[in-house]
Amino acid sequence: MDKRVSIKICVGTSCFVQGGADLLLYNDFIDPEIVEKCDVEGISCINACKNVESKESAPFVMINDVVYGDMTPDKLKKIVNEVYNARNK
Amino acid sequence: MNDIFIDVDYCQIYKYGQKIGGDVFLQKRNPERNQIVAVLSDGLGSGVKANVLASLTANMAKQLSFSPLNLKHSAKIIMDTLPICKERKISYSTFSIADIRYNKYNSDIKVNFLEYDNPSALYFKNEKNIDWHGDKIILDRKNAFKKEEIVYNKFNLRVGDRLIIFSDGVTQSGLGTSTPLGWRLSGVKKYVEDILKQYPSISSRDLTKKIVYKAYNLDGLATKDDITCCCIYVRKPRRTLIVTGPPFLKESDDLLCDKIIDFKGKKIISGGTTALIVSRILNLKIKVDLSSWSKDVPPYSKMDGMDLVTEGMLTLTKVVNTLENKKVLTSLKNDAVKKYIELILDSDQVHFIVGTKINEAHQDPSIPVEIGIRRTLIERLRRALEDNYLKETSIEYI
Repeated sequence: MDKRVSIKICVGTSCFVQGGADLLLYNDFIDPEIVEKCDVEGISCINACKNVESKESAPFVMINDVVYGDMTPDKLKKIVNEVYNARNK
Repeated sequence: MNDIFIDVDYCQIYKYGQKIGGDVFLQKRNPERNQIVAVLSDGLGSGVKANVLASLTANMAKQLSFSPLNLKHSAKIIMDTLPICKERKISYSTFSIADIRYNKYNSDIKVNFLEYDNPSALYFKNEKNIDWHGDKIILDRKNAFKKEEIVYNKFNLRVGDRLIIFSDGVTQSGLGTSTPLGWRLSGVKKYVEDILKQYPSISSRDLTKKIVYKAYNLDGLATKDDITCCCIYVRKPRRTLIVTGPPFLKESDDLLCDKIIDFKGKKIISGGTTALIVSRILNLKIKVDLSSWSKDVPPYSKMDGMDLVTEGMLTLTKVVNTLENKKVLTSLKNDAVKKYIELILDSDQVHFIVGTKINEAHQDPSIPVEIGIRRTLIERLRRALEDNYLKETSIEYI
């Protein structure tokens, strides 16, 4: 099984202005050892912000093809750690 | 949009120790009458006095060229008006006037060229120098202190042609030091020929800079006179396409992509959703370049066949503000905005394709007010480009 974690940070307008800019500094808050095992990419728009029924709002991040909303640096760190640990048990 | 662009630019270095130049170059474009006037004048002496003489001459020459008076009569008026130098008891300044008239649908550009006592201008067809001899007109002015002879010629410029005009600071550079008789016209001609062989499509700005700095070097980096060179270059315009916003109807997505493919020139896509549409239809991958982090604008992306892919409204707003305030490019941070502006300023014509679909995600009251309406923003961008940078722009909505 592929043990690397794929992280796609949305850099679309509405994600970027609502906190996405801080998420791009992932090197500052995620454990460097874990960052090394992750493929971090930017994505121009996940299209999640246009879903009116969704309870979550921007910024959005896609981790291993699951979209998470209302992302903050702390929340991102937590989820990445969880996903990473689950894959590397 | 025109299929031809007339690139007029100049470069100048003042005489060593002077804070003001005795050579004056002026150009004025009058798009309504399809006319451009470029004037170079060298005033007697140097410093303030020379600058006054040259400014007067250049300004009069410029204004008179837009009037219906004939050029000989204009020249007389200029010379009669100039003030007399206290030391030398003469009034004198040289000038070259290029009165350029073009037709939007015709590749022939007519130049009425008038020269008085400046070194003879050089005429190049692509890389080849063409010898030209104008008609000599004797002025017969009442107050003349010497025989006043004006050289007049008519050129028909075509794509690839250049007319290079310079002051005697260029031809006399290095006089008595690095070159016994100065650089001379033949030297300048040879130098320009060499440059054009190496860079056949060099812009007026770069060519004049090269000539002026060569003369500066010959003078041993301490100029003996003002050195000024200007170039009129007729070329195919460099074009840039800016696509921003998704089309109003989903069915128009294919049309938009066809337009992007058919466009000849540089291509910028401004907007995440727009980029996704293009990526989906043309089957091209978007790769976000995370190395350019900035807290103000999202990073730019790369896509095959496109010169730049950026986020939409934030980047555009920043680009517009920077261009409206005429900020210097080198003072900008190395982010998407700088890349964007570099691309636009490098072209002569900018074409916009603006999608009119409203982005639901931007209707959220919690996001900043700066995110204006796309159309207003593009209108501001066009105005800034036309007024501050003399670019030609056009727009279409989809």
